[in-house]
Amino acid sequence: MSEETWTPSKKKSLLDPRTKLLLIFVEAVLVLATTGGERLFWFRIVFAVLPFLLLLSAKRYKICIIGLAVLCTIFLLEYTVFPYAHGLSASMLVLVITIINRFLPAYLTGVYVIRTTKVSEFKAAMEKLHMPDVLTIPMCVMFRFFPTIREENEAIRAAMKMRGIRFGGGKVGKMLEYRIVPMITCAAKIGEELSAAALTRGLGKYKKRTNICHIGFGWADIVIFLLVAATVLYWILGVFA
Amino acid sequence: MIEFDNVSFAYDAAPEQKSLCDFSLTVKDGECVLITGPSGCGKSTLLRLLNGLIPEFYSGTAEGKVQINGEEIQGIGIEELAGRIGTVFQNPRSQFFNVDTTGELAFGAENLAIPEEEILRRIGRTVKAFQIELLMDRNIFELSGGEKQKIACASINVLEPEIILLDEPSANLDYEAAESLRQLITCWKEMGKTILIAEHRINYIWDLADRVIVLENGALKKEIQKEEINRFTEEDTSHFGLRSLERISPVSLVKNTEQAETDDVIHLENFHYSYDKKHEIFNIPSMRIAKGKVTAIVGKNGAGKTTFLEVLSGIRKNDGIMGLDGKSYSSKKRLGKIFMVMQDVNHQLFTESVLDEVLISQPEENEEEAKKILAEVGLLSFADRHPMSLSGGQKQRVALACAIASKLPILLLDEPTSGLDHAQMYTVGEILNRMKGEGRTIITVTHDSEFIEHCCDEVIQIKEA
Amino acid sequence: MSKKESGNKLNGRDLINIGIYTAIYFVIAMALAMTGLIPIFLILLSSMIGIVGGIPFMLFLTKVKKPGMILIMSTIMGILMFVTGMTWMPIPFSVVTGLIAELVYRGGNYKSMRSAILTAGIFPLWSCGNYLPLFLQREQYFADRTSYGQEYVDSVMNLTPVWMFFVLLAATFVCGIIGGLLGKALLKKHFERAGIA
Repeated sequence: MSEETWTPSKKKSLLDPRTKLLLIFVEAVLVLATTGGERLFWFRIVFAVLPFLLLLSAKRYKICIIGLAVLCTIFLLEYTVFPYAHGLSASMLVLVITIINRFLPAYLTGVYVIRTTKVSEFKAAMEKLHMPDVLTIPMCVMFRFFPTIREENEAIRAAMKMRGIRFGGGKVGKMLEYRIVPMITCAAKIGEELSAAALTRGLGKYKKRTNICHIGFGWADIVIFLLVAATVLYWILGVFA
Repeated sequence: MIEFDNVSFAYDAAPEQKSLCDFSLTVKDGECVLITGPSGCGKSTLLRLLNGLIPEFYSGTAEGKVQINGEEIQGIGIEELAGRIGTVFQNPRSQFFNVDTTGELAFGAENLAIPEEEILRRIGRTVKAFQIELLMDRNIFELSGGEKQKIACASINVLEPEIILLDEPSANLDYEAAESLRQLITCWKEMGKTILIAEHRINYIWDLADRVIVLENGALKKEIQKEEINRFTEEDTSHFGLRSLERISPVSLVKNTEQAETDDVIHLENFHYSYDKKHEIFNIPSMRIAKGKVTAIVGKNGAGKTTFLEVLSGIRKNDGIMGLDGKSYSSKKRLGKIFMVMQDVNHQLFTESVLDEVLISQPEENEEEAKKILAEVGLLSFADRHPMSLSGGQKQRVALACAIASKLPILLLDEPTSGLDHAQMYTVGEILNRMKGEGRTIITVTHDSEFIEHCCDEVIQIKEA
Repeated sequence: MSKKESGNKLNGRDLINIGIYTAIYFVIAMALAMTGLIPIFLILLSSMIGIVGGIPFMLFLTKVKKPGMILIMSTIMGILMFVTGMTWMPIPFSVVTGLIAELVYRGGNYKSMRSAILTAGIFPLWSCGNYLPLFLQREQYFADRTSYGQEYVDSVMNLTPVWMFFVLLAATFVCGIIGGLLGKALLKKHFERAGIA
């Protein structure tokens, strides 16, 4: 019998997971903390547009449109409502406008990263970055577990709906108890079973695991690196200028 | 060779009750042993002693020796046994660690630090042997229960253990999925693996077994050798309280007496559902269901049986109209008018005691009546227990007690007999008959042919759109 | 055959437990954060996380028998805040608060109910790390908004004085204690009786 070796799929996301982490960091520092002031204005614009482009490249149109809609609403508020607001309402408005303006690109980058990174890619990146297992394994479990929590939550909501609104008497405390407690109970039970299944397949037996998933830098990663390097260089030049 | 030598075990959770009692068994290499018996007979305990889940997950007191090839294995960590013993568990939804199928197949071998080329070779062999090319590089969450169970088996196979344990692997599978599981077990038999299967549902693997062990209260009740297996009859199974041996597709049991347009039918019109615009799950222009009877809904994998029940109960919005007693009900109006027992009953148990669970289901709380209902389903002594601490069969009966208490005229059931033994299945049948006696209509989705023959009046098939 | 002594090193099962309970905790925190779009809830967010998060957290503590688990959970929350765009500041902050929470529960030998509730009070402080950039860099934060006029900038500054951060910390701690007590009550009422605690 001839041996057949499985060829893992070559389909990879555009960016290496490590580049994605770098990008989140840069977004956070640049867009959020206004480092570099006016001098970096154009770079900030580039990094604000970048998450939209990445989401488009990953065909996540819906989140892209939502992001744009939020941005437009904010601009509208800023230029139509804001000039007429006074006192506390104006302060609140400034707070909301700045917070959303600042956090949105970084948040969208986060969405992009979470939606386009496979667990095995994430695992490989964490290993390459020499992160300890005590962080990597729980975070892999989390990625695996989020969809489960969603499934459990939906099933419980359906069961409550079937039993009618009367159920719980509309009291907030009871509603909380009947929603959160079964969700936690079901999730914890599944977690125990997951744990048993993972341990019987040797999780935690050796320190050094194999990983059949390979990650590596491509042209897109290089473009991002160059962009980041240019920004840093320009900023440093500005500091010493 | 696996040897159990005078093994006794009691769980810490119930120390007075011995789950295994002075039990001895020798399994030769390459043997396929089916272990069966009523719920709580100790068959899962047997497997847990082998794979190390006892004592790591289930603590208790054990006596006697459990050996593999002459080596005592009690006290060896679970992960140390990985690669030597593989276990397929009951619940397809909880036993995968990765989100993608390929990663899941590699998972065990990666943990054992097997070189990459070897892992890929093993995956290649497994994919070919199990014919799962189409399942590769997929998101496990999007697979059906049967497909998930296939991936679980494949993931064990990549580890190439000598011993394979299966703990009620078919409990959540329909007829076709159980048949494909049979294929995989046949595969393992051909590879010469030592196989131990704990099951209630014995029909799909009965003739594969080299030996059958029937347990009762933790002790050996009957050992059936190969030649006897082939001669075993349906009478013998009922004598031992086992499930039927016959492999009958539920679809072949369709019997639907043409319902006349009278007051005695529930009329469904324009029932269809799609998750997205392109793909319709099912489409039923018109269906009549006999009132006051037990109707089974059968259909192939992916025919949308569960979704059909969810639409009927009003949980999922759609524009189907249900006609009952001259009134028509839209999906919004049906909500709260129909009781549904879900396949995973864990999702519909909310309160801190069995009694409370029944009380909140009543239109008006009436403790006396609630206790009467609990007595009828045989759970009165459990009235103060937390519903989630009960066994699967008991939880099922709590949900049925709630259905009785709700006084609602229509009851929907989704696979009510999955994971139930012979006696429990009959109890469910009795409860349904009693509700039928009150004039209620029962509609159940099921793949269990034995259950259909036991208590269903009508059998309707729904087909994929 | 007694239960094997596994020492103080975290094993696979502990790590999976951390993952599962952090996932539950994070989902609850995110559900609460959805209300944060209304500005007033943004300020109350860390307190709400303290109360509601106390429920899964107290259950998590019943699984914690070895050092490190609380610290890891807190660190992961910080990392996740970083990934969801809350800057890098929550990471060091959550490491520090996690370490304090860890030491408090360790002080109770990983079983005392009193230190468990105290731990439940300290743990949600990680969520205050999200407010840090707002306070630490508020000058820069609102600097390029001077086009709105100094009056507005001043009123915003008045809304977020530095002492406010310590008020938030204190409020979160108190709410965490309430959450711990709530979690304890539900442990007795549900989780222990359901056999999962």
